[in-house]
Amino acid sequence: MSVLELAGVHTYYGDSHILEGVDLDVSEGEVVALAGRNGVGKTTTLRTILQLTPPREGEITFRGESLVGLETHDVAARGLGWIPEDRRIFGQLTVEENLRAAIPEPGDVAAGLDLAFESFPILEERRGQDAGTLSGGQQQMLAIARGLVGDNDLLLVDEPSEGLAPQIVADVAEALSRASEDVTMLLVEQNLPLALDLADRFYILDKGRVVDEGETAAVSADDERFRRYLSA
Amino acid sequence: MILEALADFLTVSELGGVVVNGLAKSALYVMIASGLTLIFGLMGVLNFAHGSLTMVGAYLGGLLMVVTVSGGTPPLTRLALFFVAVVVAFALLSVLGGAIETTIIRPLYDRPPIYQILLTFGLTLVIEEVVRIVLDVYGLQPISDWQAALATKPQFLREPVALGPVSVGWMAMFQILLGTLTVAGIWAFLTKTRYGLYIRAGSEDAEMASALGIDVRQVFTVVFALGIGLAGAAGTLLMWDPTWGASVPLAAETLLPAFIVVIVGGLGTFRGTVVAALVVGMTDAVTTWWFQNAIEFTGLPELVLFLVLVVTLIVRPQGLFGVEEVGGH
Repeated sequence: MSVLELAGVHTYYGDSHILEGVDLDVSEGEVVALAGRNGVGKTTTLRTILQLTPPREGEITFRGESLVGLETHDVAARGLGWIPEDRRIFGQLTVEENLRAAIPEPGDVAAGLDLAFESFPILEERRGQDAGTLSGGQQQMLAIARGLVGDNDLLLVDEPSEGLAPQIVADVAEALSRASEDVTMLLVEQNLPLALDLADRFYILDKGRVVDEGETAAVSADDERFRRYLSA
Repeated sequence: MILEALADFLTVSELGGVVVNGLAKSALYVMIASGLTLIFGLMGVLNFAHGSLTMVGAYLGGLLMVVTVSGGTPPLTRLALFFVAVVVAFALLSVLGGAIETTIIRPLYDRPPIYQILLTFGLTLVIEEVVRIVLDVYGLQPISDWQAALATKPQFLREPVALGPVSVGWMAMFQILLGTLTVAGIWAFLTKTRYGLYIRAGSEDAEMASALGIDVRQVFTVVFALGIGLAGAAGTLLMWDPTWGASVPLAAETLLPAFIVVIVGGLGTFRGTVVAALVVGMTDAVTTWWFQNAIEFTGLPELVLFLVLVVTLIVRPQGLFGVEEVGGH
């Protein structure tokens, strides 16, 4: 059963037409990768789902309910979490405060912190430290942990491995893999082997449209289908 | 002559008096500027109506005191009534602030900042004219301080108290107490409550905060209401201070030092505002002493405040604790 469905979604930045009729769906428990070159509309797709950049045309439904026209905080309250590509942690808040801000129910704070610290033990060591003073990798861990503690049914994950050292990428991949056992994910990731490893299905986006889709089990990262749309 | 004045200045009694006066001025400055900095920090709105709303708070607090206090009211009862007036002024101005934010500020969030500046400046003109009309109806002089409100102050607050060799006014001690309570209250609200966490998160990145489920628009309304409520509470305190008093010019008299404190501290940082209020208050007290006792030119202390502002803008344009960009929606 589809948790998230996009049908004929058109999104603009001013006069620039970014998404030109995107159709995709994500089923319960799936990890779906959204691949494509830079600038084809992957991040815009996630922003459009969250109503940060609302669509001008098309329909977006989550568990059968339309998200179009809702305020972003109302979208989030329905169980959609966002791990943005540039981390967007609150640098002047401590690590713990960043996590607390993402936990909607005060009664869930202890369990949420336990989950975050279990996934990334380094964050527990740094819990009282201003998040802006963390290393890039630790900030990415915090951004992911913030998405995990939010009691979300669907996580929109944007370029989680971007700019990270290989060892940190492995930690991040493991955390996302563990999280995917409990939460559905729509994953934007340039690192194709990582995306294919984590995802059950994939969509390829080009020039604001879905141009290919399939099961990840049936393809490899050097498949012609990816080379055609992902190579520079 | 300067050396004699310096020796006099460095005596325990004079220096102690200057420090207490400086702390009292700092307490007033922090009360005046806190609301302004909270509103700018989260919302990026420079509220030029802040001084006018402080002035409304002074008249509202004065009205409550004039109505409830008579010649025979005991001093402690007057003090208790004053605290009630502070709470009522805070509450009523908060409601007014919430109404202003939702009806006229909110539609301008997506416009350039000049729209909000012009709007709040226009609001100042409207508020001051309305107050003048009301005062005219009741036969009160708008330019001079409202003496009936000043007269509700208990006698002991007009008298000095000896702290060892230092003689200071009870009013100064009272102002320091209220300033300290205000700072402690705001700090506890911002750092110890869930809503304070939302405010700090929203002031850093409103879009990300909303994506975490935080209703940032509602937080904006609460912060604007809180900021205007603080202006009202500060106005009530100023109503009892003979150097300020409830009058229409109080709006401009409070807006300028509030902006100086907020800019010196760093736009939008509460910690910066507290430190800047101390810097500006102490500078004011020290220069006031010197220009009253060594150099006879009473206009200079105000000039020195602007000098502090100019030096800060040259040496550290973002202020003592400022970040390069705040607010955003």
